[in-house]
Amino acid sequence: MVGNKTFANVMMLKKLLVFTLIMFAFGFALVPFYEKFCEVTGINNLLQPDVQAKEIRVDENRWITVEFDANSRGLPWQFKPLQNNARIHPGEPVNVIYEITNNSDREINAQAIPSYSPRFLDKYLKKFECFCFTKQVLKPNETRQMPVQFVIEPGLPEDIHTVTISYTFFELPDGTAAAVKR
Amino acid sequence: MRRLQVSGLSTDKDHVSIWQVAKAVLSAFMGIRKKSDLEHDAATLKPMHVIIGGIIGGLLFVIGVFSVVKLVIS
Amino acid sequence: MAAVHGDAHGHEHDDHHPSGIMRWITTTNHKDIGTMYLWFSFAMFMVGGTLAMGIRAELYQPGIQILEPELFNQFTTLHGLIMVFGAIMPAFVGFANWQVPMMIGAPDMAFARMNNWSFWLLPVAATLLVGSFFVPGGAAAGGWTFYPPLSTQGGLGVDLMIFSVHILGASSIMGSINIITTILNMRAPGMTLMKMPMFVWTWLITAYLLVLVMPVLAGVVTMLLTDRHFGTSFFNAAGGGDPVMFQHIFWFFGHPEVYIMILPSFGIVSEVIPTFSRKPLFGYSSMVYATASIAILSCVVWAHHMFTAGMPTVGQLFFMYATMLIAVPTAVKVFNWTATMWRGSMSFETPMLFSIGFIFLFVIGGFSGVICAIVPIDIQVQDTYYVIAHFHYVLVSGSLFALFAGAYYWIPKWTGRMYNETLGKWHFWLSMFFFNLTFFVQHFLGLAGMPRRIPDYNLQFADFNMISSLGAFGFGLTQLLFLYIMISCIRSGDKAPQKPWDGATTLEWTHLPTPAPYHSFEKPPIVK
Repeated sequence: MVGNKTFANVMMLKKLLVFTLIMFAFGFALVPFYEKFCEVTGINNLLQPDVQAKEIRVDENRWITVEFDANSRGLPWQFKPLQNNARIHPGEPVNVIYEITNNSDREINAQAIPSYSPRFLDKYLKKFECFCFTKQVLKPNETRQMPVQFVIEPGLPEDIHTVTISYTFFELPDGTAAAVKR
Repeated sequence: MRRLQVSGLSTDKDHVSIWQVAKAVLSAFMGIRKKSDLEHDAATLKPMHVIIGGIIGGLLFVIGVFSVVKLVIS
Repeated sequence: MAAVHGDAHGHEHDDHHPSGIMRWITTTNHKDIGTMYLWFSFAMFMVGGTLAMGIRAELYQPGIQILEPELFNQFTTLHGLIMVFGAIMPAFVGFANWQVPMMIGAPDMAFARMNNWSFWLLPVAATLLVGSFFVPGGAAAGGWTFYPPLSTQGGLGVDLMIFSVHILGASSIMGSINIITTILNMRAPGMTLMKMPMFVWTWLITAYLLVLVMPVLAGVVTMLLTDRHFGTSFFNAAGGGDPVMFQHIFWFFGHPEVYIMILPSFGIVSEVIPTFSRKPLFGYSSMVYATASIAILSCVVWAHHMFTAGMPTVGQLFFMYATMLIAVPTAVKVFNWTATMWRGSMSFETPMLFSIGFIFLFVIGGFSGVICAIVPIDIQVQDTYYVIAHFHYVLVSGSLFALFAGAYYWIPKWTGRMYNETLGKWHFWLSMFFFNLTFFVQHFLGLAGMPRRIPDYNLQFADFNMISSLGAFGFGLTQLLFLYIMISCIRSGDKAPQKPWDGATTLEWTHLPTPAPYHSFEKPPIVK
């Protein structure tokens, strides 16, 4: 009787331990699940090109100033847009050229992460081409010019007159997966 | 007569209807259950039924709330 | 029936356990371990309370007076961590250790040695946590939810916190495995699941929640650790990770955790109220079902903690509706407690006072919770003192008041002595007054826009902050009265009869002498 009870307890312990391990693994499984979920639902879509809408009405009555900002974080890179700002109409396609130079004598992988001000600009900003969609590899002392092509939709609230588009390059350590898996 | 009732109960035990599990799970979600029903459940339902019922109930709950949300914002 | 009283003697042969400090280090007795859990959690309550006093002293007036902003942030962070993981959770495990075996007629916990181990992990974890104040850079300062990027950038203090959370998690998991096995396998003959006292039921469900979500917490802090030291980028945007994902995984643990801290207090209150109303618990089966329901629903509402983190409208509405629906089973419980008191012959001893105070204040906390669940309001009050007021109404006047109720209710059984009823009532009324003085005004501060976790504030908030600080100092001092009541009860209280509460019906009152013998129910009682 006592032996039975101990046996039953140990069986229960084993089951619960296995369950605990499964839940520990589940915590890690949430990572790919989260990425897949964002990809399928199109949430958090910073790194994928948007499809060009056929007809975007250009609102010629409004002017918006777009400021371009470029940073590289802890990288021996020089990174700047060829123009600091642009005055455009909402709905008008814009082309900007950015230039990066690798000032070091080693090959560096890096990834640019965009950020916008105001924060909700991402709802109205459609990017068709961007160097931030893929990781960039620069050979020692290489210089490269890269275009960004985008449209700011006319739905942007009326009280916004200036927006900022900012890119920051982060180095990707060797061996870590590239940022852009998609 | 009594014997009949007892045997009636035991056949009940062998055939737990989906409806009974559903009722138990639904009332668990509400948090309201009659004592007599509960005793009947406790006597006839197996834990496995309740767990499976609970998981299905949880899924239905999520789908239900989700479709209400879809309805609201459509 | 009478045979079970014989348990107290006739076991001298296995009673020669070591004395002194070794008795406590090597003990495998559920009562000893329960006692240690309770003292440990009270010590942590004092440490966390001291941090709270520091916070409120700084906020007594606008401007920076006592705590530098960095230290203030460490205080708020460690106050939260210590109160949640060091005070409330171990206190409930302590109650479970003492009460679960006695309430189901088991001689001890299922895994006595593991029980010892899961307790002794706690002082280690607490030392790491409190010790992190003294390492270079100080303790973790990014809030008790340790969101990255702050927690990936902090110093050594964050690493100590991560290890501490690992250890506390392991301890909780072992504790809950022990409790589940005890409840499912060790019940006395005749003690069917549906005859178990409500406290045992709530702990069974809580323990399942713990093994469900604690490993996820362990996983997420492990990811944090590898992000900090091993070059992974789970939460680092530059490496392709996402800091918002941390919030999702953390709150997948964090919301059930909220219910882990409240379900056992539902259980305690469900024992105390029938006793002092001298009526059986109204709607026992509904209570069981409602507890299960709350537990299940608690796993699908986590994102209501992060409405402002960026989420599509569909998600916001889903989590808003799901959250509001949890109010249904919770309300079922409140109505059942009220119905239990209805037409009962009630008496108002200290445990009952704390239980009624619990219902009253928990309902306020529950309602402010429903208000916070509404997305447009939440976006307004996010990270303000309104949220602080809400969760202190749930955790202090919820969990803590229920713990006080349970301590007063069972202390005669544990020690064989009665506490001082007059002082107990003073403790209740002072706690009640000062608690509301502290936290009720924080609703107004939050609605007026005072942000949380900031050591300084605008002049317009000065009056309410001063009131709140005065209340906090009073509440803190009142808890010293509790310590005094407990110590004087243990040392020199009047002898308690076997059943000091005439309405009590559970096994520990009806089948065991007072104080409960060191070994109880070695021969299982027969439950009819």
